[in-house]
Amino acid sequence: MHRLLKITFQSIHAIWAFKLRTVFCLISVALGIASITVIVAATEGAYQKAFEIVGRFGPDALLVFGGGEEARATGQRQKTITLDDIDAVKQSFYSAYLVVPMTSMRDIQVSYKDKKYQTLIVGSTSDYSQVWTWPVMQGSDFTGEDVKGLRNVGLIGQFLAAELFGDEDPVGKTILVRRIPVQIVGVLSERGTTPTGNRLDDRVIMPITTIMRKLQNETKYVSAMRIRFLDQQNLYTYVDEMRSFLRKRHRLHQEEPDDFTIISPREIVKFLVALTGSLVAFLGVTGLIALIVAGFVLANLFLLSVRERTKEIGIRRATGAKKRDILIQFLGESVLITTLGGLCGFLLALVAARLLMSIAQFPIHFSWKAFVIGLLLSWAVGIGFGLQPANRAANLKPIEAIKG
Amino acid sequence: MPLCLLDDIRKTYKMGDVAIEVLRGIHLQVEQGEFVAIMGTSGSGKTTLMNIIGCLDVATSGRYMLADREISRLSDDELSVIRNEHIGFVFQNFYLLPYATVLENVLLPSLYIDKRRDNFEQKAAGLLQTVGLKERIKFKPPQLSGGEQQRVAIARALMNDPDLLLTDEPTGQLDSKTAVEIMDLLAQMNRDGKTVIVITHDPNIAAYAGRTVRIQDGVIMQ
Repeated sequence: MHRLLKITFQSIHAIWAFKLRTVFCLISVALGIASITVIVAATEGAYQKAFEIVGRFGPDALLVFGGGEEARATGQRQKTITLDDIDAVKQSFYSAYLVVPMTSMRDIQVSYKDKKYQTLIVGSTSDYSQVWTWPVMQGSDFTGEDVKGLRNVGLIGQFLAAELFGDEDPVGKTILVRRIPVQIVGVLSERGTTPTGNRLDDRVIMPITTIMRKLQNETKYVSAMRIRFLDQQNLYTYVDEMRSFLRKRHRLHQEEPDDFTIISPREIVKFLVALTGSLVAFLGVTGLIALIVAGFVLANLFLLSVRERTKEIGIRRATGAKKRDILIQFLGESVLITTLGGLCGFLLALVAARLLMSIAQFPIHFSWKAFVIGLLLSWAVGIGFGLQPANRAANLKPIEAIKG
Repeated sequence: MPLCLLDDIRKTYKMGDVAIEVLRGIHLQVEQGEFVAIMGTSGSGKTTLMNIIGCLDVATSGRYMLADREISRLSDDELSVIRNEHIGFVFQNFYLLPYATVLENVLLPSLYIDKRRDNFEQKAAGLLQTVGLKERIKFKPPQLSGGEQQRVAIARALMNDPDLLLTDEPTGQLDSKTAVEIMDLLAQMNRDGKTVIVITHDPNIAAYAGRTVRIQDGVIMQ
């Protein structure tokens, strides 16, 4: 142990003495480790962001849209979900404590005084803010009576409120939705943007009855329903049950595809991770190549160094160093350098991540995991690429080495 | 028992298909406390003989006893231990580590001792004082003259209290005045009880030794 310590100290001494070699190895390893660290952190960031969004979406919630997968891809949603479906779901799924219908209309003109704006109108029940965990911040929610009575009331999103009202308090004011006057009863709290760039705070929520009757002239179909369950752990059983339940209700034959789409938290994670996945894969390959190049730089410089220091090896062998001592010294040099390179790489990654986040709004999350992976990889490079030169040094014959 | 006993030592090098016998049956005894010069021209086999005496190389055949141990059959690791404990080398080209200080160079043999700290630094400083380099302790070898570098090498050779000081043309790179100083130093070490073997082609150097052995074409000339 004591001997190992003394030999490690010799490694440190040589790292200090052969500064040029140290610097080159350090830089190349640092670059490789930095890119890998950024990738690990970006992957973690993507997952974290996904789970954050799922948390907001509701880990116990499902969203069912009308229209199958193909219809969804073209951006067209068929209306296939009926108010009767919603009642039936309420009746049949006991642990569904909230089943809320929703219908939406895009690019509807709203105006207040002389200000006009195109926005999204969502029709729902008084459970909307609860089912989305989206509290009303100012004023109050609309009520069951508002829904029953087809009243012209609405909740407004923060962004739209700012656009239409500026500094004015929107609560109690009346806006025009197309031609219909609607009284704002409350303002929703801020929700931000989705990863795909949708402004969630740009919307008006109104009683679904009002919208269906007065804006859509519709009595049967809605766009979607959202369901929250008491027992989150069974959520994926409910996905399957919901699918067969709705297929049966819609009288779909076995070979027919679903005419609805069920979105669960799992789908959201999949989608978000796929979004960053391609970038991560590209960076991953780049980072791995950078690290391998770093390894070869290290191996080459160390082979040169072993040749240059043949005499040193001879002297050490003559004064009693065993093969193992020489191996440990040279391997120690490479591992210490790559460890240092790994640490520099981690710092570099922190800087690079800041840059990435500021230009691309890329979610990056640094944790001990990124640090440990970087450190392990730098050791792997140090041992993997340092072993061959160290072995060559250790296996030099003393008499050959001392001749130089 | 003599310190070194070489009995019919032969060394053959294979160069492709040709085998060259460099040592052809060496018989040699060196007693404890002796000062022996091994003289020979280049190509006589004196360097090969030194490598074998110094346990840097092993003979092809024959028996070599050093400090009551049979060397011929030892493993590489065991040879390292023997070199570390029993032999101090002084080379023609000094062979110091250029990036380490004088003190660190002298400490080199102590790195490969398994014993715990034995206050090696104090001992190394003491040795440097003995060879007259107390002031140069923090210097690096390139800052020293040739004579000073060889003194550092001698101090390093003495670090682990070896039984045998094995020197190969110790004055080969030095001017005649410095050469005298270095040989006086080696003679002093011998008077203090060290066994010294000096390998040289120079009769003036061999004259310091108590006994001179001549080697020619791989055999000892009587």
